[in-house]
Amino acid sequence: MQKISRRQFLGYSMKTGAATLFTGILAPSASSFFGYGGVAAAATKKITPFTFAVLTDAHLYDIADHKFDKFLEKAVADVNSLNPLPDLLLYAGDIGQSGKEAELKKGKKILDKLKMPYKVIPGEHDYYLDMGAAWRGLFGDEHWSIDHKGVHIIGMNSILVPDFWSMAGLTPKERMGRMEELECHRCGLWGVGDKQLEWLEKDVKKLSPDTPVVIMTHSPLWSYYPRWNFQTYDAPEILSTLSKFEKVIAIHGHVHQVVYNQMGNVTSAGLLSTSWPWPYPPVDLPYPAIKMNRVDPGDFEDGLGSHQVSLGGDFAGEINYRAFSDLLPENVRRGVKL
Amino acid sequence: MKISRKAYPVRTLGTALLVTAALTTLVTGNVLAKPVRSDKQVAEERSALMAAVAKGDGLWHDGKLGSNGLACGNCHPDGSATNPHTFPKYQSNLGRVGTLREMINWCITVPMQGKPLAYDSAEMVAMEAYATFAHRGVAIAPAKDEQHGAVPVFGGPGYPQP
Ligand code: HEC
Ligand SMILES: [Fe+2]
Ligand SMILES: [Fe+2]
Repeated sequence: MQKISRRQFLGYSMKTGAATLFTGILAPSASSFFGYGGVAAAATKKITPFTFAVLTDAHLYDIADHKFDKFLEKAVADVNSLNPLPDLLLYAGDIGQSGKEAELKKGKKILDKLKMPYKVIPGEHDYYLDMGAAWRGLFGDEHWSIDHKGVHIIGMNSILVPDFWSMAGLTPKERMGRMEELECHRCGLWGVGDKQLEWLEKDVKKLSPDTPVVIMTHSPLWSYYPRWNFQTYDAPEILSTLSKFEKVIAIHGHVHQVVYNQMGNVTSAGLLSTSWPWPYPPVDLPYPAIKMNRVDPGDFEDGLGSHQVSLGGDFAGEINYRAFSDLLPENVRRGVKL
Repeated sequence: MKISRKAYPVRTLGTALLVTAALTTLVTGNVLAKPVRSDKQVAEERSALMAAVAKGDGLWHDGKLGSNGLACGNCHPDGSATNPHTFPKYQSNLGRVGTLREMINWCITVPMQGKPLAYDSAEMVAMEAYATFAHRGVAIAPAKDEQHGAVPVFGGPGYPQP
């Protein structure tokens, strides 16, 4: 498939007749024609076009009829209503708030209403009460890979911090309490750790460079704002392992906001939560045009949403942020190219 | 040591060194309303402020101010997006010009479904101290339409120090 630059792309899509030409090649949704973003690398092996959905950061509390329950339910209903129905759903972590099994069970019960299969990775809020025991019991492996219609999809646990609790004599609940604070004083930076790096190395070893790859982690694979762990300390190693591929799409939770970056062959997109939005940290965005608006604190659904990702035959991707309220500037509402 | 407002000028004026310092300042043209304080006093006042900030930090991350488990820190890490430097300003939720304290109480009662703090309580002062300290150095700009990311309050490994 020949590479289409952003400029050419706009040029073509403005010609009326060209629309039909693109339907097959790109994604099934009409909004594909107006995709916005950097110029993603073109791929690779031909795949069967498909869509998948993404949800993240529900932060459910062990409190009956909590407002966050309804937001996750709403996101699940939204994804179920999509036409075409996404082939699968990826969930990018932080189902619970305080790592309690009851929170995770509540989340699983809601996610089980999905009409498509789903895959999950842990976030720090799911993990630090029992070091992931309850999570693993409910959702299985913390890292995994699947192959779907020619795309290799990887999920990894990126929230592993060095032990800060043993020396300090913290109880599991205290440890979780510290991790619950985004600006956790002295929790340290997190990453996937050596074992998962080795696993990743093996996992992609046999794949040819033209294989389309999607990777999901809880935190971004670039150094965005380390103080809030908007980073993964061993992301450089991950990116180096994935550097052999022509094109990789990376999606991540944790930031509760629209954010976008490109690192060589990797295009990265951050996701909306279904709990609360975060303001942008005090650093420059690499792609300042791809962001969300300020949020109305009186509208509890503002800043939240679900996502649909469309992949075309040449692995041209697009993410559609499906915000619950009027949150997105026009360019982002039209979809962001991945 | 705590010094009452009344004792303060008497004590400092009695110190010959400070009188000299004040005179020097007068001569050089900088008019001081009060004599210079000792380093010790300055340190004590600073630690009183930091105690209030620390108390505010605690409350900020404590779900007990609300009834649905949420804390300010969930949505305002490091006090971000509270924009203390933009108050007082018109608040559409109040329908009039409001203060930072009013907005603190609004967030306690609305997103956190809790009971408002008394405006003159130590807790409210601490909340205000935390949010304002997190924006030290940011220019005062009432009504500025800004969502300010905060200045980190405390350091940690790999993090900027105050
Ligand atoms: C569920 C999320 C949530 C919680 C919890 C929350 N807030 Fe807010 N608050 C917001 C949002 C969203 C805004 C609007 C931010 C903006 O202006 O961009 C806001 C605005 C504010 C503002 C006004 C900022 C401005 O410029 O108008 C203040 C002050 C504030 N919050 C303080 C607090 C305090 C103190 C607490 C804890 C008692 C708290 N908030 C808890 C979501 C929350
Ligand atoms: Fe989260
Ligand atoms: Fe997180």
